[in-house]
Amino acid sequence: MISIRHLAKEFPVSGGRVAALKGLDLEVAEGEFFVIVGASGSGKTTLLRCVAGLEAPDGGEIRIAGRVVSSDKPPVWVASQQRQLGMVFQSYAVWPHLTVYENVALPLAEGEQRAPRREVSSRAREALRLVQLEELADRSATLLSGGQQQRVALARAIAVNPRILLMDEPLSNLDARLREEVRGKIRDLSKQLGSTVLYVTHDQVEAMAMADKIALMQAGELLQVGLPMELYHHPARPEVAEFFGLVNWVEGRMVQPALAETAVGAIEIKGSQAPGSQVLLGFRPESLSPVSTPPAGARNVLSGVLRSSTFLGDQFLYDVMIRDHLFVGKGRLIPSNGDGNVCFYVDPREVMVFPAKKKISGRFDERGI
Amino acid sequence: MSTVRQAVLRLPFSFGARRWRASPFLVSLALAPMAVILLLVVAMLWISLQKGVFGTASAIYTLENYREVLSDPFLLHALRNTAIFTLSTVFFALVLGLPIAWLTERTTIPGKTLIYALMTLGLLIPGIYTAMGWTLIAHPRIGILNRWLVDLLGLAEGPINIATPVGMGFVQGMSLAALVFILTAQMFRAMNPSLEEAAKVHGLNLGRTLWRITLPLALPGILAAVIYITTIGIATFDIPAILGLGNRVYMLSTFLYIKVHPPGSGLPEYGISGAMGAFMVILAIFLTCWYGQVLRQGHRFEVITGKGYRPALIELGRWTMLGWGFIALYALISKLLPLLLIAYAAFTPYFAPPSFEMFGKLSTVHFSNMDWDLVLRGLKNTGILVLVVPLVVLLFGFSISWLVVRSRSRSRYLLEFGAFLPHALPEVIMAIGALMLSLFVIGNVVPLYGSVYLIAIVYVVARLAFATRAINGSLLQIHKELEEAAFVAGLSTFRTAWRVLLPLIWPTLVSVWIWTALLVYRELTVAVFLGVQDNITLPAVIWSYWYGGGINKASAVTLLMTLVLTPMILAVWWVGRRSQVPGQ
Repeated sequence: MISIRHLAKEFPVSGGRVAALKGLDLEVAEGEFFVIVGASGSGKTTLLRCVAGLEAPDGGEIRIAGRVVSSDKPPVWVASQQRQLGMVFQSYAVWPHLTVYENVALPLAEGEQRAPRREVSSRAREALRLVQLEELADRSATLLSGGQQQRVALARAIAVNPRILLMDEPLSNLDARLREEVRGKIRDLSKQLGSTVLYVTHDQVEAMAMADKIALMQAGELLQVGLPMELYHHPARPEVAEFFGLVNWVEGRMVQPALAETAVGAIEIKGSQAPGSQVLLGFRPESLSPVSTPPAGARNVLSGVLRSSTFLGDQFLYDVMIRDHLFVGKGRLIPSNGDGNVCFYVDPREVMVFPAKKKISGRFDERGI
Repeated sequence: MSTVRQAVLRLPFSFGARRWRASPFLVSLALAPMAVILLLVVAMLWISLQKGVFGTASAIYTLENYREVLSDPFLLHALRNTAIFTLSTVFFALVLGLPIAWLTERTTIPGKTLIYALMTLGLLIPGIYTAMGWTLIAHPRIGILNRWLVDLLGLAEGPINIATPVGMGFVQGMSLAALVFILTAQMFRAMNPSLEEAAKVHGLNLGRTLWRITLPLALPGILAAVIYITTIGIATFDIPAILGLGNRVYMLSTFLYIKVHPPGSGLPEYGISGAMGAFMVILAIFLTCWYGQVLRQGHRFEVITGKGYRPALIELGRWTMLGWGFIALYALISKLLPLLLIAYAAFTPYFAPPSFEMFGKLSTVHFSNMDWDLVLRGLKNTGILVLVVPLVVLLFGFSISWLVVRSRSRSRYLLEFGAFLPHALPEVIMAIGALMLSLFVIGNVVPLYGSVYLIAIVYVVARLAFATRAINGSLLQIHKELEEAAFVAGLSTFRTAWRVLLPLIWPTLVSVWIWTALLVYRELTVAVFLGVQDNITLPAVIWSYWYGGGINKASAVTLLMTLVLTPMILAVWWVGRRSQVPGQ
């Protein structure tokens, strides 16, 4: 549905130009809820704005539904108006001089994707019904709460039956509780309408909760594209692993195809690596599970001293010192055998293995606890 | 595919990142005024380099005009007059405007809204009213004050002469005091009161605090105001014309006027006036650059303050009466008294100090004897200007502002400069340029000379700087995503402007419209330089009566003009109350 090739974009800054997009490729299938996630400044909003036609790329090509909407060679440019999109802006951009109904009806009545005159009212009301704002239709848009404005923006975006829905951090201005509620609703609505959604956020939880597919973006490039589970459990690079949550890192050397020697002991992994190669192993806090009695003869049992723990309600987060290395674990209870020593088991399937190219300075080393 | 627009517009104004906005129509709207200004200046410079028959093959290109200007002893005299006039203007404007600004912003003086209304609306009362009124007060021969003093002290002639460079500076200063007020009141408001409080806590009394802290902090702002006033003073025409031309006291601007409109049967000296104009352009650009530099340096003193601080105001106490007395005196001598005397003169058969005898002779003879043909023609032309110019200014101003505010391309600086250019160029220069352009450059193609539309063109470019600045400020407050939402929703550029932007900034647009209309309504300089029989405006009718010695008739027309002016000024006040819109 959306096909992007070698997209490049630079911005002038004082003393030169900075590349916001470095020739990236992207493919979004029809009906897919596609989330682009990345830290601020990674270029994700620029990418979205290029698709929207609000920003002109310096190079590359964008196709929407097979039609080239932006290209440098040959030069093609389709104005934003003609791309048949719906978009929810970060600020919502609800027109303050119009009522809720007028906000939704204006694109239908006067936009490029306008509806036949007699349908305008029914379609606008239908869109408002879908976001449960029918009763507020005649209220001035400025008298709404943040959550309601967000729904007006959504209704406006879906009212024109766009081929593609673009969303630029639509939840970032809502409070935490509302955000969780709305993200489910947005996803349900988009599935109900069968829309293709390109959604931008900096929140990895939001991304994983909503996406059919996630693309992680950093410094103008896509680090990895895949299913949420893939990115979480099988990150292609250490940076991807770190983005989706805390990682305990440890460097090691392969002594057997599936066994690495590390500073905290031998660790078994899944799959095989060339013996003798240097590797970087990582596992998430929830993989560092405390065990009261280690299985007999089991590998990957690490013994350490509990340094501190934080009660999170549903579970504990704790810092453990294992052979002068500080690790973070997560679990439901902390068994102790009395002397403060705790045993942990790390499932080989949950160990992420990367070739050790450079030292990763994980948050873990910098935690001065 | 008709919907696919080829990205061909890659000229300097492709606005790189913003191809969607750079509709060629919008860009040409924004560029047209700049082209006109450049054309005016170039036409003037071109003529200044010629002798013989201008603009034809028989013209001789030479620097002779410049040599003549520089060796003209009379010019030196005019230059000296202008210098004295400008200095006095600055002095009186500061002495009157600065204390009122300080009183309003930094003390507990009551009735601040009223002061603001008085000062802002005062800006709208034409300077020529004050000049005419003060002629009636302090002209050495007919001035009431002089006549009283002559009678009282038994003098041979009137001791006060308003028709001197200092006297004219006094009148001009009274007019521009309102501008000083507006420029410096903002500065006093932005000043961090904790700096003064620190002085107070450490033992400085009010006088010392003012002298050691407030004044030095305010100095950059005051200096900026001084340069601004100087820029206006050097080239101002209307007040020196009303007060000086009839009494043969010449400034640069009035000297220029008699070069292009020589009295009697003299021939216009366009080449020489062009050369003079060139010098004035250089001076004006220098002053404008200096002004910009001082403004930037002024930010050095800005102290960041937290949100919502309330400036501590100085308790005025028993000095309140003195403060209001000062403000009332200013309003009386600069606006009220001149207007009353004009009204009085309009109904007296000849001008003489008010007495029982004179009140017995009051009549409407000047109204019935008036050349109504001329007055109605003036009214018609002024009407056309008031209808056409503000709308065109809004159209161009909005186009420029939209491109300037929303574009990230470097070419926007060019546009911004273009919009600011008319600010630097005195109206006399634009008028001279327009005169030469219409006479010698495009005269054979477009017969604009003597047309009211020639005046309209100059008004549009002259008023554009103010309009773009006001609209810029207003557009900057509108979140960019509001219009982007319209684009994505499929609204065309035009519809986006019409349905989203214009409704959001309409208070500013209305205010710019009214201000422009008012300034056009009262404008004299350009109208007089470009005026002939057919395109005479209402202020130019007043001027021609006045210049011809018909003081009472001129007053009568002025009174008529005021009848229309008053509701317009009230409209400004009414709109201004509803939306806080910056003054000039």
